[in-house]
Amino acid sequence: MMISGGRGGKSAPSASSSPSVSSTTTSWAVSASGKRIQREMAELNLDPPPDCSAGPKGDNLYHWVATILGPQGTPYEGGIYFLDITFPSDYPFKPPKVVFKTRIFHCNVDTAGVLSLDILKDSWSPALTITKVLLAIRAIFTNPDPSDNPIIPGIARLYLADRAKHDELAAEWTRRFAK
Amino acid sequence: MASEDPKPSPKDPENPDENGQNVDGIFSPRFKSVAAMAGWDEETLLIASLVVEDTPDRESKYKKRSDSQFKTPPTNSRRKRRYQRRSPISIPASVLDLDEEETARKESEKSKSEIKASVNDEKKIGAKESPEQNTLVSRSSSVLPCIDKLKEELSCAICLEICFEPSTTPCGHSFCKKCLRSAADKCGKRCPKCRQLISNGRSCTVNTVLWNTIQLLFPQEVEARKAAGALNGRETVCQSPETAFYDNLNQSTRASGISIRDTNARRRRGIILSQDEDVAASSALRSQRGVEGQNQIPERGVHRDVRNLSTRPSRVSSRDTRVTRRRGIPSQDEDAALALRLQREEFLEVFSGADAQPSRPLYSARANLRAMASRAVNLRIIGRHL
Repeated sequence: MMISGGRGGKSAPSASSSPSVSSTTTSWAVSASGKRIQREMAELNLDPPPDCSAGPKGDNLYHWVATILGPQGTPYEGGIYFLDITFPSDYPFKPPKVVFKTRIFHCNVDTAGVLSLDILKDSWSPALTITKVLLAIRAIFTNPDPSDNPIIPGIARLYLADRAKHDELAAEWTRRFAK
Repeated sequence: MASEDPKPSPKDPENPDENGQNVDGIFSPRFKSVAAMAGWDEETLLIASLVVEDTPDRESKYKKRSDSQFKTPPTNSRRKRRYQRRSPISIPASVLDLDEEETARKESEKSKSEIKASVNDEKKIGAKESPEQNTLVSRSSSVLPCIDKLKEELSCAICLEICFEPSTTPCGHSFCKKCLRSAADKCGKRCPKCRQLISNGRSCTVNTVLWNTIQLLFPQEVEARKAAGALNGRETVCQSPETAFYDNLNQSTRASGISIRDTNARRRRGIILSQDEDVAASSALRSQRGVEGQNQIPERGVHRDVRNLSTRPSRVSSRDTRVTRRRGIPSQDEDAALALRLQREEFLEVFSGADAQPSRPLYSARANLRAMASRAVNLRIIGRHL
């Protein structure tokens, strides 16, 4: 996978910030969630979603790294965005934590990289998979959601008021941080 | 697959005349092999097929006789008959279907028996049935080229594996019963797929049709899930090994007590064994023990006298194993209690040995025991003198 080679330095802070999950769980939960994560991994390898890739960072099955390529026709085009995914111990029943590690000018991603995506919060469903989450994230690249609780209201306002200016800034950020 | 369809039926190789060819035309080789397994030879098959072809006709006759014996004009029935006679032409196709159905039914029966047996003894069955499962899987995969799609369709969206005991929501989505229950517990009572409210998430019922289908299509996966579930269950048992151990212990001691009592009952033919008698016996044993204690006679002396020496060693060995198993437990009280119980058992055994001579009334047993004890004492004394 292309992820592991590209970014040695950035993984260190993320590893310290996210708690190690496997130690805090009961044996049944680990096996059930672990099984499901393994299945998802196999499916991702078999049939990866377009412009996306994901896989475990190291030995820990509950800690993944994902990449999304900026979709064509958007100001994010050409950028490679890295995300940290942390699975909870009761994974399919609780949403994974997804955090942008690459800076992005987007009204739904705050400076810490936290996403405001409903399916990662209240609208999570155990039937969702990482593939679907990645596709949802890729969808907000093309269609930012400024109206429904944008995490950065300034960018949302700019997006609604002056789309050209917003796109210009976003492209500038893509050049600076995502290439 | 290759082993499943032998071209000539093994049942009657000496019948390759037109009849056999006819049968060849009507039945697929697989159907024949299945029939051969069921113990039908081709003649009976042919007859059966004729019966099958005839049945509609007969039914129409019955109908004619029963509800409209005098009313129906003959032309109508003839037309019916002609129609039904034409149907055999289309039968080969339907016979193929029947073939599938037959095998499917067989599989279902087999799998059902498997399930039942697996409740009793999973490991044995798993080892025995694995080749059969392989053939089943290969057959289903060959019969259904879309098996991968089916697998996807029949897998649970929550655990991403084949639905195990699928439960269907009111909105029509199916998940493993366990998965759906935990989803309802942890994520609210909404369908994980369409977010519709699940009215009563508590009463998760298994969709039996779907479950049977899954068991037919993916016996291996289901077996694996079952085994995993059993393993999990065993693990939870292992979390409290001490209680499990004590349970075991109690059962084994109880069982041995029962067996001893059984043998007693068998030995005393014609004598009714009651609890009171048992109590009396044990008191007698206790008194005997007192005698032993006074004379400091080891138990072996008594046993030498008793005639059930042949049965002794095995029991001793089993008891020994039990004792060694018990060594894992630190509590001495438990040890002492068990030792007492074992001693009591031993005495009961001695008592039964004393009763070994058949057709002796029980009330003489006590006297007999005493006599035996004194004899043992005598023997011991003699032994010392020697």
